[in-house]
Amino acid sequence: MTFLIQQTLLYAVPLMIVALAGVFSERSGIINLALEGIMIFGAFVGVLFVHVMQTAGVFDEAKAAGDWIALQGFELLAMLAAAVMGAVFSLLLSFASINLRADQTIGGTALNMLAPALVLFLVRIIANQNTLQMATGDAASWFMIKKTTLGYSRTDDLGFLGNTFLHKVYLATYVCIILFIILSIILYKTRFGLRLRSCGENPQAADSLGINVYKMRYAGVTISGALAGMGGFVYALTSANCTSNGDVAGFGFLALAVMIFGNWKPLNIAGASLLFGLFKCVAAAYSSIDINGDGVYLLAQAGISSHFYRMLPYLITLIVLAFTSKKSRAPKAEGIPYDKSSR
Amino acid sequence: MKKILALVLALCMVFALAACGETAAPAASEAPAEATEAPAETTEAPAEEPAEVTDPDAIEDTMTSADGTYEVAFVTDVGQLKDKSFNQGTFDGVKLYAAANGLSYKYYQPANGDQATDDDRYDAMKAAVDAGAKVVVCAGFMQEGALKKAATEFPETSFVFIDGYPLSDEAGNVLTNVAPIAFKEEQCGYFAGYAVVKDGFTKLGFCGGGGGENPACCRFGYGFVQGADAAAKELGITVDMNYSWEYGASFQASPELQSMASGWYETGTEVIFACGGSMFQSVAAAASANDGYVVGVDVDQSAESDTVITSAMKGLADAVQWAVAKVYDGSFAEIGGVAQSLGVNENAVGIPTAAESWRLETYTVEDYEALFAKVAAGEVVVDGDYTKLAATENVNLNII
Repeated sequence: MTFLIQQTLLYAVPLMIVALAGVFSERSGIINLALEGIMIFGAFVGVLFVHVMQTAGVFDEAKAAGDWIALQGFELLAMLAAAVMGAVFSLLLSFASINLRADQTIGGTALNMLAPALVLFLVRIIANQNTLQMATGDAASWFMIKKTTLGYSRTDDLGFLGNTFLHKVYLATYVCIILFIILSIILYKTRFGLRLRSCGENPQAADSLGINVYKMRYAGVTISGALAGMGGFVYALTSANCTSNGDVAGFGFLALAVMIFGNWKPLNIAGASLLFGLFKCVAAAYSSIDINGDGVYLLAQAGISSHFYRMLPYLITLIVLAFTSKKSRAPKAEGIPYDKSSR
Repeated sequence: MKKILALVLALCMVFALAACGETAAPAASEAPAEATEAPAETTEAPAEEPAEVTDPDAIEDTMTSADGTYEVAFVTDVGQLKDKSFNQGTFDGVKLYAAANGLSYKYYQPANGDQATDDDRYDAMKAAVDAGAKVVVCAGFMQEGALKKAATEFPETSFVFIDGYPLSDEAGNVLTNVAPIAFKEEQCGYFAGYAVVKDGFTKLGFCGGGGGENPACCRFGYGFVQGADAAAKELGITVDMNYSWEYGASFQASPELQSMASGWYETGTEVIFACGGSMFQSVAAAASANDGYVVGVDVDQSAESDTVITSAMKGLADAVQWAVAKVYDGSFAEIGGVAQSLGVNENAVGIPTAAESWRLETYTVEDYEALFAKVAAGEVVVDGDYTKLAATENVNLNII
């Protein structure tokens, strides 16, 4: 059970934060199809940051001394770097769709095509191959929080909650969850959030009340870019062993799907990404999932082909989308470039 | 509703486009800039490099030759060049020989990554020959189709076919400019399996690459099972082994593989044999997260991660240097078109015995050397016919 929860969180958290990135952009009225591209770029920047810092030996001492707080700080810095560059990357989208009033779908698609190519190009220059890896060690030995890092011995039992949430976890996961909560509150409970949302529903009305629609949309897309960039790095860190190869396994697109079947609402999105993460985890590790702890691996013994399990997450997405899309209600003004003169 | 439909359609398009955009990128960078220069000019290449370099990592992966030609070429198998395993081990041989003899060298990665076709591989070989390669080292049995075509077309160029077998052209004549080199992987798999069980591990795992169709990986796995079985018999115990080809078909690291390996460790598996290039990354990451152990493959991988307890090695770098040297001393005809299967008798397989690589506790180097001698003398026979893979009395095989 512990294993199931941990693995589910690993897959669900990047999805959740990137889907929220989509919400911020779309609620301000800009369709952000570029989530995948920004994730790829953010993952690259974060991994590059880690790689460069390791090569420069900045955190070698902390690693050798087992100073895990410094290493967690390193992790946070890398997340920050990814977020900043993700935001910068997303400016391309905001510039095209806000200032130039370009078609947002095409703009996003262009970024999605640009990012993997650009990242691969850079990775090949830097690493001489298609994957950029950490310079030394692996993600788990540098960044993972375990019992032993917290000062317990290997055999200590921390109880169910301790074992699940304090052992073999990444700080990044919790940072994302906290950010998710804070940003959801900002979106719904603050003046800024209200204004942002109004720009996605009726920008003309918002403008007539003195809200700068362009600014709000820039803000929405930039927050979106920062979250997606960070989400990309979190994905790379927690489930791809801190590597970047111009690919995040389609998580950006999945996040879009999650956003749509979460109906552009944070709580639903959290649920949807957990559902998806759960099935993704089942797909990968069904052979060692022991649900009630009796030593019987039900899923492995059911005699169902592994291909079926691997299809599951996507099947579930399709099915849920089919049932929920009737109710889904996108922000009214999304995708329409705002033109002051056409009230 | 319409908007959703449009979005979904757009997504489909984007998926397709993104997939194309992603793989096409690396191809362009491989094209040689100066393809027309004559290979004959390379004789004046400066031989200033002394033959003292022994650490392949100290040699640059890319070098720029003065005249734009590259004599010793390497065409990678699927997976990354720096996989810290098969490709890297083979390339180390190329680099070492070239550096020791002051030759120019270059590597070529066939386009389209793990989806590379025979044409992509052929293009890489052709690019190598066009850039003046005298000898092209091709890694992996999947190069067969491309190699046939290239070797037929460029009879003046020597090819070294690692993990390969003799090839014939379309008329049925054996191609004598292809030197095939195979290894008895089952023997080093056996040593690794024997060692970990003797060291006290009873729950093992095997993660193989190539989806169960790569003969080298199959031999590694079968040898590993036989070794574990032999040791378990001697100790009078039963060991469990998870045996899987999942998520390794393309020899790449993946989150799914990492989850699967984590799941194994979580449910008691103590050591996993990560048999397939970059797959090592995922398995080692899972081991590191779960305090488990890994058996490395192809080269001594103990430096890559503290979790590596031993490695099933084959002498890739040595074999490459040996074969390339034959090209330069004019005796290539001895090995061209002749099947080579290097094993213990050639000292081409084994597990690393250097003090910093030996992390087994109760099983000692002396034990290993005694076993090695027995295999070399033929007292212990390791079967290479992996189609006979099956559970035994002492090994519960759980094939996933």
